Amino acid sequence: MTRNASETRQRNGTGEAVTDEPPVDTSGSETASELSGEDLVLRYPSTDEPVIDGERLAATPGAVTALVGPNGSGKSTLLKGLAKQLAPDEGTVLLDGRDVHSMGTKELARKLGLLSQESTSPESITVEDLVYHGRYPHRGFFETVTEEDIRAVDRAIDLAGCGHLRGREVGSLSGGQKQLAWVAMVLAQDTDVLLLDEPTTFLDLHHQLEVMEIVETLRDESDITVVVVLHDIEQAARLADEMVALEDGAIQARGTPEEVVTEELLADVFEIDAEVDVTERGPRVTPLRARHDAEEAERSPADASEAE
Amino acid sequence: MSSESSVGSERSTPARDTRRFVWLLDPRLVMTAIGSLVVVVLGGLVQVSFGAYTMTIGQAWAAVFDPDVLLNRQAWNAFLLGGEMPEMGTESLIVWNIRLPRVFVAVIVGMNLAVSGAIFQAVTRNELASPFILGVSSGAGLMILLVLVVFGGLTAFLPLIAAVGGAVAFLIVYAIAWKNGTSPVRLVLAGVIVGTVFGSVQTGLFFFADDIGIVQSAIAWTTGSLTGTDWEQVRMALPWSFVAILLAVAGARQCNVMLLGEQTAKSLGMSIEKVRFALSGVAVLAAAASIAVAGIVGFVGLIVPHMVRNLVGSDYKKVIVGCLFVGPALMVGADVGARLALSPVQVPVGIVTGLVGGPYFLYLMRKKQNMGEI
Repeated sequence: MTRNASETRQRNGTGEAVTDEPPVDTSGSETASELSGEDLVLRYPSTDEPVIDGERLAATPGAVTALVGPNGSGKSTLLKGLAKQLAPDEGTVLLDGRDVHSMGTKELARKLGLLSQESTSPESITVEDLVYHGRYPHRGFFETVTEEDIRAVDRAIDLAGCGHLRGREVGSLSGGQKQLAWVAMVLAQDTDVLLLDEPTTFLDLHHQLEVMEIVETLRDESDITVVVVLHDIEQAARLADEMVALEDGAIQARGTPEEVVTEELLADVFEIDAEVDVTERGPRVTPLRARHDAEEAERSPADASEAE
Repeated sequence: MSSESSVGSERSTPARDTRRFVWLLDPRLVMTAIGSLVVVVLGGLVQVSFGAYTMTIGQAWAAVFDPDVLLNRQAWNAFLLGGEMPEMGTESLIVWNIRLPRVFVAVIVGMNLAVSGAIFQAVTRNELASPFILGVSSGAGLMILLVLVVFGGLTAFLPLIAAVGGAVAFLIVYAIAWKNGTSPVRLVLAGVIVGTVFGSVQTGLFFFADDIGIVQSAIAWTTGSLTGTDWEQVRMALPWSFVAILLAVAGARQCNVMLLGEQTAKSLGMSIEKVRFALSGVAVLAAAASIAVAGIVGFVGLIVPHMVRNLVGSDYKKVIVGCLFVGPALMVGADVGARLALSPVQVPVGIVTGLVGGPYFLYLMRKKQNMGEI
């Protein structure tokens, strides 16, 4: 299931000389954590119909799994289910073989981090203080900051590339800079599994690439298991070792980006006609037009439901 | 990323000081504390110097620093534990037995209301929250009236009974506002409505009062008054306030994480419901302790946390500590006005805080773009 690192780098074209490097497999080592959801049925308290109805999802240990799908396909819902933000009606979520609902909230937070889609904070908090909040699950009620906390925060800020923002107030940052600060906070949590909900949406290109580079660094240089929801299918293909495509709360396809990103899938799941070229940076999607079959048109109101 | 991160790591960032209480030395917090202390001390000295029994300012100060009282164990035993009062001069007796305790009660009430408001604002993530707006005050006030008018024998347990009333009112408000989470506006609306209903019941109770004296003291309760408070009120409120304030300071970090929003707090491993419940309990206790001795003093719990946030920033460790200073400053200052402005008539201090706090709050509302969420 896991692909070796050199192959991954080659496909993503991150710039290193690839072929003559020894294939050091850092991305799928045995110590990486395993996260899987079995037969998940997820619904919001306000709705009767489940958004996700009996799906199975296993994140490849130490690799990046990307969830893609149109608006309302349930990808964020699935992510919330995996992160224990939503209690499943049926099914279980296993982290290294243990049911997450049997774990204490802090214990889980030391192993699994989640970056939500819209994060709010007081305006006048500094980036550094925000990142220190990421250490919350590692600290007891009366404990002060330890050497380890400081190291983890420095590492996270470094990795997220927001050292120059350290003393700035969050309220004074641009959207992209804010997102970097939040990424740093969730990195400071120092978890084995990281779930990211649309981390690049609403960011300018520069910051989109910054966030993607952070995830690439995590994939190449650590054992962290990453599950990321992405809106942009090309970005997902470039970033992910494995892709999962959802439509109407059901998984339509899973596999490597080359297997998943095809013209047929784009037509079926995203309802667009598109050209897919396989390049060395992974598949490139050129959207041509939206499909307007009669059947499609009837179904579209349901797709725009609140399930996202 | 590469260029930026190298810039960040090259620049020497000052190592974070890990000592536990180093944040207390934040200059803004220190200035706030000193400024507030000056107001409290000046207000206190005005309070002890003026009144029905005329004495010179020199006499009053001499009485305050009278070593016969200050260093007398029997006197403190009488003040704090309710023991036998020792012999002392007339000036010392008036200052120490009548005028100073009132200042101390004002200090305690100010601390409690400010801390209570600050916690409620964090728990509900709502700038408009305060014990007054969330119905806690009216719930506690109703229970106090019930005790005064109907169950006269339970007066000793007034803070506890007030706390129960406040907690019940808050739970009702929360339950009404709850709909897969609460929004600031729904909470405030529910609080106003529950407060109004409880207020009607309070007014209704007046008709069952036996004599006019009870009605008058009931009115003093519902407007918030420090008239006639002495060491007994200090003794009544002090232990509860001590517990509530200690817990509030300890819970400040939880408040900070709470302010990051429910989802983030949850994903950081906080048991949201438990923490919210515990912190609300602390806030209700603090509010009840002050309501039990001074009645319903409005606006202090609402505006003091605002002022403190403007002064020291949004870190709740600093906000709570700041509230412990600014709250007393506002209360002592307001009580000077309440006692001396229309002398010899004393108005309830709640009227003064309302007159000062209301306009300040309106000014905030006009100045800020989006009021509501912190």
